[in-house]
Amino acid sequence: MSFREKTAWAMALILIAGAIFYFDKVVRITDAIGRTAPPIIGLVIAYVVVIVIASVTAMIALSVFSPREADAPADEREERILDKAGHWSGYVLAVPLLGALWHFAVNGDGNMLFHLIFLALMLGQIAEYTFQIILFRRGA
Amino acid sequence: MAKPPPITNRIRELREQNGPMSQAALAEAIGVTRQTIIAIELGKYSPSLESAFRIARVFETDVESVFGWQGPPAG
Repeated sequence: MSFREKTAWAMALILIAGAIFYFDKVVRITDAIGRTAPPIIGLVIAYVVVIVIASVTAMIALSVFSPREADAPADEREERILDKAGHWSGYVLAVPLLGALWHFAVNGDGNMLFHLIFLALMLGQIAEYTFQIILFRRGA
Repeated sequence: MAKPPPITNRIRELREQNGPMSQAALAEAIGVTRQTIIAIELGKYSPSLESAFRIARVFETDVESVFGWQGPPAG
């Protein structure tokens, strides 16, 4: 497994764990107050900080085991994979974003709009790393 | 499943005739990862023209001795 595939696995898992952490809290708060939880800036900041720390820690750990690969730039096949994954993940980002807009237009729930847009951003990132893994596994 | 590119290659055979040379050594020589050499050998990835020339130069031969075309003829 190449260094970039390992980093894609690490980032996908970190982002999935982060999304579960964030939305678990949002659902619990929503249940407790009986309506959609408002945007909780503290929770968003906590999410971002946890993701950044976990990502940096994972990258350092992977780099320690493969210092030469970590130092090397992406080769032509890897660059093509990164480009394709980024392109496809744009669609994954767009679909829930449109869903969020539709939901807001119908229900006028601004709090839900915030959470759905945040979810779309998370899904877009998770999809990008997932596509990278699929393409690395498939060959190109 | 993606359709494999219509390009064949003799990289594995040439590596075995030259040493044998490892996939890692060839990857290092042309500046790609070992996984890219594996993908090229398995016909899952078509290298760029530059990499094709670099591979041929490593084996001191021409590109057409390394790569072949098995798709329909052009035009």
